Amino acid sequence: MFADELKTLRRLGVRHVLLQVLNFTSVLASGLMIWKGLGLLTNTESPIVVVLSGSMEPAFYRGDLLFLTNPTDQRYQVGDITVYKIPGADIPIVHRVLETHDFVSKNKGLVAAAPVVDKQLLLTKGDNNHIDDIELYQGLEWLERKHIVGKVRGFLPYIGYVTIAMNDFPQLKYALLGGLGLLALVQRE
Amino acid sequence: MAPRTRKSAASSSPATDTNGDAPPSLPPQDDTGAVVDVDALLAPAPGEEREEVKVNNASATDMKHACDDALKRYLSRPDLFKQIHTHTDVRLALGWLSVLVAGATGLYGWRVPFEQSKPGVWAGVIVYIILTVAQTLYAYFVEGDIVFVGKRKTFDKRIVTERITVTSRTTPSTPTSPPGYSLGLAYVRSAAGGKTLLGKGRAEEARPYTDFFDERGVMDQVRLERWIASIVSRVMDGKAQ
Repeated sequence: MFADELKTLRRLGVRHVLLQVLNFTSVLASGLMIWKGLGLLTNTESPIVVVLSGSMEPAFYRGDLLFLTNPTDQRYQVGDITVYKIPGADIPIVHRVLETHDFVSKNKGLVAAAPVVDKQLLLTKGDNNHIDDIELYQGLEWLERKHIVGKVRGFLPYIGYVTIAMNDFPQLKYALLGGLGLLALVQRE
Repeated sequence: MAPRTRKSAASSSPATDTNGDAPPSLPPQDDTGAVVDVDALLAPAPGEEREEVKVNNASATDMKHACDDALKRYLSRPDLFKQIHTHTDVRLALGWLSVLVAGATGLYGWRVPFEQSKPGVWAGVIVYIILTVAQTLYAYFVEGDIVFVGKRKTFDKRIVTERITVTSRTTPSTPTSPPGYSLGLAYVRSAAGGKTLLGKGRAEEARPYTDFFDERGVMDQVRLERWIASIVSRVMDGKAQ
């Protein structure tokens, strides 16, 4: 099936093969750089996440895509939907902020440089859960700002199922990557 | 092939065959006085082993690439030009450098916690953007449509350097004509390391793809080479303008 392409590749030489491999790897590299750039612009390590559980229904269902930002100049407020990660847990959790406790600086006569300099403690709860998240905090009493990955700004329904499918069936991921690679190697721009 | 004697236009022998690559009776002379038998050099070798080239003849891109590859193979023959790979090498260098930068940035961002890694990742993304913009500008402005750059050095009384640059485009199809292959050649002949200009020539010609590909998509390489030979010999015969 690929005999013609292989013959062409052998005839065209090293530089050509290098160019074709470059085509493929530069697609991957640009995807990676777009992801990292987006993370830098939104100030969060994963600007786009997929909802895995049903704990935020009817707002978010399993398979929804969420867009996050982590603004440095705003405090989190009751009602914000945040994604947080507890150190020691593998997956981040998306729940709503139930309570916030803001610490005001004790130094009289000094003004805080930014709203976020003063510490903020948060308690969260999933909309579809009966109890708040204390059990999930693995010993902590409150969430701190450093545990928060970001705040949800927007969402797209159903798109996340592609990622869920690729995680549950890794063969799909490799097949897709392999197919993309083959296409990039034999096609010329 | 024996040179064809040119008969007057009135009489034409029925046995005259119409292929165009028989050398004229007088080989052209360049202004150093030496006889340069350009046409003999350019004639396609008759018994040469050729691999069949078969492409999808519905795709103008595939056909252009096949013609470009045949052109490069033909002009890179040992007694003809030696290909200069500068444009390809620049593209490869910039491209692979940007891929390595992207990979390094990704690895760094993965290993180091997010807040700490921010300055490093900013640096990586900015370098990547600069390299990509440089690649695009180079491909658009400097490389353009060029498909082949070749050099040739010959020794007669002094070192004569010839340089040829070939560009090719696909001319779009119209309701009355099929898509075509437009070839542009720029040729410079110089001596004394490029300081003395001996000859310069420019040519541009287009032929429809149907001249070179049959209905199965097989390329008639000999026909393409003859056409290229005719343009190249025309360009190489030019005197200094």
